[in-house]
Amino acid sequence: MTTALPRKPAHHERTSPTRRRRRVSWSLITAIVFAALFALAAIAPGVLATDDPTAQNFADALQSPSLTHWFGTDEAGRDLYSRIVHGTRESLLIGIGAAGIALVAALVLGSVAALADRVTASIVNRIIEVAFAFPSLLLALLLVSILGPSPWTQVVAVGVSTAPGYARMVRGQILSAKNAGYVEAARALGHGWWRILGRHVLPNAIRPLVAVFTMAIGQSIVWASGLSFLGLGVAPPSSEWGALLDAGRASILQAPWLTFIPGLVILVLALTATTIGTHIQNSLEKGR
Amino acid sequence: MTPTSSSEARRADRITSVRPVAPRRSPRRSRRLASNVVGAVVVLWGAATAAFLAQMALPGDRATAILNIRTGQAQERTPDELAPIVDAYGLDHPVLVQYLDYIGGLLRGDLGTSYQQFRPVWDLIGEQLGSTLVLTLTGILLAWVLMIVWVTLTAGRGPRVRALGSAVDTVTAALPPYWLGILLLLFFGLTLRWFPVMGGSGVNGIVLPALTLAIPLAGFMGQSVRAEYERALDQPFVLSARMRGMGDLGIRLRHVLRHGSIPAVTLTGWALGATVSGAVIVEQIYSRPGIGKTLVSAVGAQDLPVVTGIVVLVAVLYVVANLLVDLVYTLTDPRLKTS
Amino acid sequence: MNAPRTRRTLAATAAAAALALALSACNNGSVTVPSADAERVDGGTIVYAHQQEPQCLFGGWIEQAYISYQFLDNLFSLTEDGEAVPWLAEDWTVSEDGLTYTLTLKDGVEFTDGTPVDAEAVAYNFDYWVAGGNSTAAVWLGGYYESAEAVDDLTVAIHLSRPYPRFIENLTQGYFGIQSQQALETRTDEENCEQPIGSGAFVVQEWNRGENVVLVRNDEYTSWPENAEHTGPAYVEKVDWRFVADGVTRVSALHSGEADAIYDIPAIEWDGLDGEQYELHKYVTPGRPQQISFNTTRAPFDDENLRKAFIFSLDRESIVDTIGHGVIPFEGNGGVSQATPGYSQKAADWYAEDIDEANRLLDEAGWTDRNSDGYRTKEGKTLEVVFPYNAGTIINADGASIFQAVQEQAKATGFKVDLIPVPPSETWAGTYSGPDSYDISAGYWTSVNAGILYINWRPSTEDDPNYSNSAFYDSPELESLILAANSESDVDAQNALYGQAQEYIAEHALSFGLYDRLSTLGVNPRLRGVWQEHAQGGPTFYDAYFVE
Repeated sequence: MTTALPRKPAHHERTSPTRRRRRVSWSLITAIVFAALFALAAIAPGVLATDDPTAQNFADALQSPSLTHWFGTDEAGRDLYSRIVHGTRESLLIGIGAAGIALVAALVLGSVAALADRVTASIVNRIIEVAFAFPSLLLALLLVSILGPSPWTQVVAVGVSTAPGYARMVRGQILSAKNAGYVEAARALGHGWWRILGRHVLPNAIRPLVAVFTMAIGQSIVWASGLSFLGLGVAPPSSEWGALLDAGRASILQAPWLTFIPGLVILVLALTATTIGTHIQNSLEKGR
Repeated sequence: MTPTSSSEARRADRITSVRPVAPRRSPRRSRRLASNVVGAVVVLWGAATAAFLAQMALPGDRATAILNIRTGQAQERTPDELAPIVDAYGLDHPVLVQYLDYIGGLLRGDLGTSYQQFRPVWDLIGEQLGSTLVLTLTGILLAWVLMIVWVTLTAGRGPRVRALGSAVDTVTAALPPYWLGILLLLFFGLTLRWFPVMGGSGVNGIVLPALTLAIPLAGFMGQSVRAEYERALDQPFVLSARMRGMGDLGIRLRHVLRHGSIPAVTLTGWALGATVSGAVIVEQIYSRPGIGKTLVSAVGAQDLPVVTGIVVLVAVLYVVANLLVDLVYTLTDPRLKTS
Repeated sequence: MNAPRTRRTLAATAAAAALALALSACNNGSVTVPSADAERVDGGTIVYAHQQEPQCLFGGWIEQAYISYQFLDNLFSLTEDGEAVPWLAEDWTVSEDGLTYTLTLKDGVEFTDGTPVDAEAVAYNFDYWVAGGNSTAAVWLGGYYESAEAVDDLTVAIHLSRPYPRFIENLTQGYFGIQSQQALETRTDEENCEQPIGSGAFVVQEWNRGENVVLVRNDEYTSWPENAEHTGPAYVEKVDWRFVADGVTRVSALHSGEADAIYDIPAIEWDGLDGEQYELHKYVTPGRPQQISFNTTRAPFDDENLRKAFIFSLDRESIVDTIGHGVIPFEGNGGVSQATPGYSQKAADWYAEDIDEANRLLDEAGWTDRNSDGYRTKEGKTLEVVFPYNAGTIINADGASIFQAVQEQAKATGFKVDLIPVPPSETWAGTYSGPDSYDISAGYWTSVNAGILYINWRPSTEDDPNYSNSAFYDSPELESLILAANSESDVDAQNALYGQAQEYIAEHALSFGLYDRLSTLGVNPRLRGVWQEHAQGGPTFYDAYFVE
């Protein structure tokens, strides 16, 4: 999946220092606004959508977006806007859960790869390298086929299959922290390895992961929705976005908004997560 | 796979590259490749064992599942009905025997027998693999073309053009492949009828699927290439080329591209993986034959020999591709050679 | 730098969205209808888009019956009136006691591997099915079939243990296609799965898994059914039987001319295709309709009144009519569908929506309290109904929507329906098939006649378990009604008995109908002579030809 790695090159490489400080980042503001909306939708959907997402109304089936139904209705007359808002919680939880699992797994793997003895490290390294390049959807599907399709499986499958990419990052971070000047200085001062690890290496390695975690949420939601789309995750009548997209395909010629809008929402969330994560990453870099 | 110059480890790289690491590369190249191969074998063995364990871990009774699939009726089964299936798949042998059979089979190229079909998994995959490979490679090729065109046009120009170029990269890289695929199918296939909807193996049938794979990949590669490209545009050799009277487009294509696209080359191994993942989804959307479709239906039916067979096979292909890419990388990057 | 980018992104997205919506509203062109006196063209290839690809080309699943019908001949063919007419068997007689059927076969018919279609081969096929070669055929023969033998080259005697009046009609289903004995005996299972050898109008040339099966004309064809529309070999040279799982894609393929005929038209597309002069065929499948049966062995539905309350809560007809866009037929009868001989309209009309009655029954049963979500409770327990359904395999998207509507309507009277979509893997593993796992379950079973009632309602005993009895209902009274009907040779009397059985089912609220399974075909008018065979509604291309 192409948003696998947070990789926006820092903007500040191309602008002069004075301009950088003055400019207001509109993309960041937009992203923050959307993030707040998504958070609100997840925590208190009733605030944003007062209609009942499961209320069926056959007379109103398959209506295009209008003032009464902002996103139109589906084949049973349910309001799409309400379904999307109420589905935010499930989609976000799956995304956050998967991102969490991915990062924890990445921390473990990356630490081993960076800090263990030569043999273990090289084996783990090789595992990470192959797993990183390996199609992550295949790994996810393998897990789904063992565990059976369900939301929990989605979380685990997406988390585990995206972990290798982050493991590489963690490994790189720890290695660079390990080899940094202050570590040498600390060693010269006679500090023990564990103390150096705990005080210097790990904190420095982990701090950038906040940005990574944010971006990982976006990526995980795209992947998890992909699994729902394939019919291997959450199933109807759930309002999870991937499931909505899949359900909308049957009426795509008559009601394309049922497919278009859930996908657009997923895209917006992915962009929001990427933008915020990138800004965090850039400001951390500037801080160095 | 060459980790050190992909940009996600770029920050680490910038710090570690202060130390001269490169000089050790050339004389130790053969040793490195050897350790790669050994490591690869270890990984493959691990993957095969994991695959076998996966088949063992399946909940429920496999024999019942197989019979239910074959008859289209989900119900409990009597032992008499299940006996021929238990026999055929050796489901009553001790686990260790089944494991050794499995590993032995893998070495012989036997990936097991599908639960759903009466056929060896190898045959099943073999038929479908070609179609997916063609789709994947076409997708990557198309991604390169799109990326090169877009970056060449928009990098290193006025701030607005650069901003647009960058924005398009970001948005296209974040596009969910299933959404993009459906939209392209809706537009160009169902509405405009420029392309066939029933897929099929012809050239016409591959355009939309390949485009669905190519667009996000192009955006993604564009993001990393763009910075490198613009950096290269500032290099002295570009200035001297301009002074020699070379046209802008010529400079961009002939000199800068080679340097700028290095990040994309190092990404190729990963891009192959990402594209295969995308192919699974794309084959579903466009009703194209391929291992993607086979895989999804096998997952749905918990036909583990097929799933694990595909995973092991792809792992093998990966290892080989990895080694090749490593080779290409060390050969094409002029900076590494000279240091 | 950021402002123009954001604006541009937003503008681009908005423009794309508008364009998408606008373009998708464009109407597709209509099809050219050949004139009434257009000439027949010999040869050609029919491109047919089917939905589901089976695992083998012959077997106990209806998808296998559909395709094997093209290259295997049956002993008999079913007419529209439900009568069995000669196909491979020219004539049949039955003994006085009803236990021996003697079939006379057509002379001079050969399988495509050169071996003759003789009595020995036919007898072999019967034993082959019962031994596991076709589990559905075995179910139909179970309890009745004892043995088959060749009396002479063209005469087969089939021995039954009990009278089976509709035996011959049952043999018209695609499961009973006759294969070459030599092929079955000398080839591997795999070969017989991929390229079964029969005597039919077409021959399997190749199977590209995931893509299509190519059938070529059998030029030596001599054994067409009596109710076919022409004689001699098929008109077209090839049938490209393609597998396209997505309904919208199939319909678009028909629109664009990529496909000459398609299967399973989504209800929402029906009117559009009809208006554009495509030839549409609709076959209401006889047998068990898409119904919901109650698990009568545990609470809450061990109480007949609660079952009735559940049914009274539902306005099934409007659910089906809306979601089915008027195409999917509503079925009130929980026993058999309206296309089945012996259908009882009385059983179908037994229950109409009656919310007051539902509430009254529930109150009477003690479920008088409601919790905060509106579900009824009694002594702290919620009125919960576990409803697993086989998502994606047996139940399609329209079906799933209908179940969701059922869930919604039941909520109004206080039932908490736990709708559980079961993925195919768990379906096939039988996770939700035991009596501890569900309160209501849905399913259908195609069948030529009401004999399916026996399969679905025969009580399950220790020696002879019946896993097809999804209500786990043991009623000797119901069983004897059905058995009596099965053994009754007079058609009217038989239908009356079947009717009583259906009314019994309705009276005791054992199951209720939702909709009938449909087999739909859409055909481009340039292709004529495609019809649906009457046993199971599958397409048959033997009489099809192109015109121009």
